[in-house]
Amino acid sequence: MKFRSAVVAGAALLLTVSACGSNDAGSGGSGDAQKLTVWIMQGTNPDATSFFDSVKADFQKENPGTTLDVQFQPWGEAHDKFTTAIAGGTTPDVAEVGTTWTPEFAAAGALEDLTERVGAGKDNLVQGLVDAGTVDGKLYGMPWYAGVRSFVYNKDIFDKAGVKPPTTWAEIEAVATKIKSSQPDVIPFAVAGECTYCAMPFVWGAGGEVATDNGGTWTAAIDSEKAQKGLDFYTGLATKGFSTPAAQTWKETDLLKAFESGKTAMVITGNWTLTKIATDAPALKDKIGAFPIPGETGGIAPSFLGGSHLGMFKTAKNKDLAYKFIQLMTSDKYAAQWAQQANYFPGSKTALDAATKTDDPAVAPFAKQMTDGGKSMPVTPAWGKVEGAKTLTKLIQSVVTGKATVADATKTAATEMNALFKG
Amino acid sequence: MVDTQRLSRTTRPWLLLAPALVVLGALLIWPLVRVVQLSLQDFTLSNLVSGEDNYIGFGNYTEMLSSPLLWKTVLPNTVVFAVVCVVGTVALGTAVALLLHRLGPVWKWICSTAVMVAWAVPALTGTYVWVWLFDPLDGLVSHVLTALGLFDPSTTNWFTDRVSFYAIAALNVIHHGFPFVAITILAGLVTVPKELYEAAEIDGANAWKRFRSITVPVLKPVFAVVTILSTIWDFKVFTQVYLMPGGSGGNDEVLNLGVWSYQQSFAQGEYGKGAAIAVLLTVLLLLITAVYLRTLFKEKEL
Repeated sequence: MKFRSAVVAGAALLLTVSACGSNDAGSGGSGDAQKLTVWIMQGTNPDATSFFDSVKADFQKENPGTTLDVQFQPWGEAHDKFTTAIAGGTTPDVAEVGTTWTPEFAAAGALEDLTERVGAGKDNLVQGLVDAGTVDGKLYGMPWYAGVRSFVYNKDIFDKAGVKPPTTWAEIEAVATKIKSSQPDVIPFAVAGECTYCAMPFVWGAGGEVATDNGGTWTAAIDSEKAQKGLDFYTGLATKGFSTPAAQTWKETDLLKAFESGKTAMVITGNWTLTKIATDAPALKDKIGAFPIPGETGGIAPSFLGGSHLGMFKTAKNKDLAYKFIQLMTSDKYAAQWAQQANYFPGSKTALDAATKTDDPAVAPFAKQMTDGGKSMPVTPAWGKVEGAKTLTKLIQSVVTGKATVADATKTAATEMNALFKG
Repeated sequence: MVDTQRLSRTTRPWLLLAPALVVLGALLIWPLVRVVQLSLQDFTLSNLVSGEDNYIGFGNYTEMLSSPLLWKTVLPNTVVFAVVCVVGTVALGTAVALLLHRLGPVWKWICSTAVMVAWAVPALTGTYVWVWLFDPLDGLVSHVLTALGLFDPSTTNWFTDRVSFYAIAALNVIHHGFPFVAITILAGLVTVPKELYEAAEIDGANAWKRFRSITVPVLKPVFAVVTILSTIWDFKVFTQVYLMPGGSGGNDEVLNLGVWSYQQSFAQGEYGKGAAIAVLLTVLLLLITAVYLRTLFKEKEL
């Protein structure tokens, strides 16, 4: 009997343990000092292969005898893949790093300090991206490209309701009311429970902050009166019935689908999604409009400046060569080309200025939102933990589902955030 | 001569077992030891980079065990969900096995193929199908219920409520898990001597009585195996919960041990805390298995 139960217990153990899957460590920096391994996120630029063919040709012409190995990584698994590679010492030489990850990897000691190499060139970099890549005054991420979220609307629905893009919060509600009364089967404005970046412009637009930095110590400010006021308005759009209960668990991808169905009047989404909408729903192609997220009584509310840095990992064998690659990628020529192909904005001021001087009615509002109101989330290594804990998602979801009031939910979020800031 | 023979008699089995033991040790025992080690540390991404240990004693355990989230949400979710799923899986699996056993060869083949398809579908795909079925706006279920006048999509989202969330997850897990039970029990049913049923029928036993008095006792070891395996699988459900809307941590109310552990380790980089939760899950499973085996084999010492 003893033996048998031991066998079964062993089998149980086997099954439990085998549940803990393992990730491939991935191939990383090689021993060859003339070979540069680079990780780039997949899907940002639909034409990435030919882009990098051209980069490769230029790079190898400038640096004879070197080889450039560009590997594409899917966004979804990238964070895990980076941490696994960091643990195993198999990180690439250079990689595209999401702006909110840079402080985390830098604090972990995996990224190389780029401050000296960048030098005076820093003045020509987009400030929001520099902020996001700076930890303790040192720059760990070279600004590459960025984008912002703004309102995207369906012109047909707006025309039928006889409304124009709103420029204040009161007008947003008035527009939504008119759409609801004129077209009852349309969702006037979808409030996605899992899209925190959709809610932040309202926190900032009311003059609130997510958290404040007092000489290196971060304190949550999401429960301040101003922040609560902004969240109250934003979630109110859901609780007043301008959204749909289904949206309580929507992610940004679900927002896009809802908009593509033609049954949603307004969503908050990134500039990089416009081509996707036009491809997925060709019928909507000429009906997509955009406008910047307004502040409470006008102006433009700050919106999260999301994008990517190019980071050099400590494991890079030939750091000069690695930096040459970063320089080539962020040169005006390639920065502008990448941004244009991927529907983003370049991370250098000169290239950005050129890109934002556009007449395209779908791009101009985003350009305005980016230059006038691009803002970063709290730049602290602990922010990765707050993102991981989904503190802000829980806050929004609990309010739109009616499980908590804005006052209670923001207090809960602030407590959790402060605990994570303390570490 | 005699001595060497005895030596080879005692060492040979171990020599033959050695390769398997080495593999098991490397693949199972070492990771388990490592998880326990991790659970005693404050271990973050920077520890991963530097490779330095940072032992803090039982801090992670006291924090975990004193968390109201564990007792009010995570543990009840895990345990109740597992019980519902195990009962559902074994009951449905048994019913399907009995049905298959009565069918002729052609229908048996058709039905068991259909059943195997449910099993062959990866958990990820299956979950997306169930999520899509229950989509509050466009799902098949909501369309049918709306047409029947039983449901208003403008007022409800099933994924935000704890009970309805886990009800959908349970349907998914039971649907995915019952084929294994059905096929295993069917294999057992084939071995039950037909004479037993014939004798019982002559004695006037009805179908339920025959099932209770013949099938269940004869197949007890088979039931034991499928129940234990289902319990283990259903306790550590991760994919089916994580991939549901709101299941990846956006809603604390629907956390279970697996998702909580993943969230602590991989989303927040608190590998020590995540490991402590994983150890708790392992200990719970070992306890359940031990208790279950004891009660099962007590009556009839094997």
